[in-house]
Amino acid sequence: MHNLAERLMDELNCNYIFTIPVLGGIGISESVVVTWIIMAFILLASIFLTHNLKVHNISKKQAFAEFLVNWLESLVGDMAGEKGKNYSLYLGTVLVYIAIANVIGIFGFKAPTKDLNVPAALAIMSIALVEGASIYEHGVKKWLHKFTEPIAIVTPINILEVFTRPLSLCMRLFGNVLGAFVIMELLKIVVPIGIPAVFCLYFDLFDGILQAYVFVFLTSLYIKEALE
Amino acid sequence: MNTLIAIGAGIAVFTGLGAGLGIGIATGKATEAVARQPEAEGKISKLLILGCALAEATAIYGFVIAILIIIMLNG
Repeated sequence: MHNLAERLMDELNCNYIFTIPVLGGIGISESVVVTWIIMAFILLASIFLTHNLKVHNISKKQAFAEFLVNWLESLVGDMAGEKGKNYSLYLGTVLVYIAIANVIGIFGFKAPTKDLNVPAALAIMSIALVEGASIYEHGVKKWLHKFTEPIAIVTPINILEVFTRPLSLCMRLFGNVLGAFVIMELLKIVVPIGIPAVFCLYFDLFDGILQAYVFVFLTSLYIKEALE
Repeated sequence: MNTLIAIGAGIAVFTGLGAGLGIGIATGKATEAVARQPEAEGKISKLLILGCALAEATAIYGFVIAILIIIMLNG
């Protein structure tokens, strides 16, 4: 049991794989390296899918690529409303990244979303996007005025929401991935073969993809609310 | 000191009670709605899955706090 606690603590800390000898040594942690691997994979897949595009007589590969882009855009664009359709590019990318990052635990890599820094960075980016979209659409004065709507009494709650929303987004994503990992470790101690595979299917695949969609869905909901 | 940490972590996970109750009631209402109008099943199940993922978050908060209590207070 003490072994398990040690392993848990070990997995929670971010280990530096190597340091770039620039500016006094920038440490590169495991999650950054796995993110590079995910980026390389998505880049290669995109280059492969968009090679040789044509207007007429499209190949099956191009039809699949168009179907993928349309499906992603409809998935995230519906919630963001009319003015929010421009943000569907960023939201689609975040969806693909978080989905792959949660699932990559199956292939033996350490999921980058298990490191607390990655969901925190994603949540900060989301809230910066939401507030930035509001300022871009309405201007700074009206943005400040929106904090007092609908009644002046709820102003502290509105201000607090700027901080609690990214916190809840980050904790939801991180907590789900961490919880899945802890339960998988406990299962592997109790029953080494067979049963962990079934649970891995639920936790990694279903839960990981669902949490990615919930993250993007909530961000698009906040964008729609901010753009009104 | 260790017993206090254990008790604290145990109390923190009580948030699972609310999530379990809420999701159970929501699923009951969803099955009622599908029974009343079977052709709306696609929309209803999408809403149900989304609502469950959101409600699960509060239980997850309690779990994360329990893990933090155990690790930070050096159990």
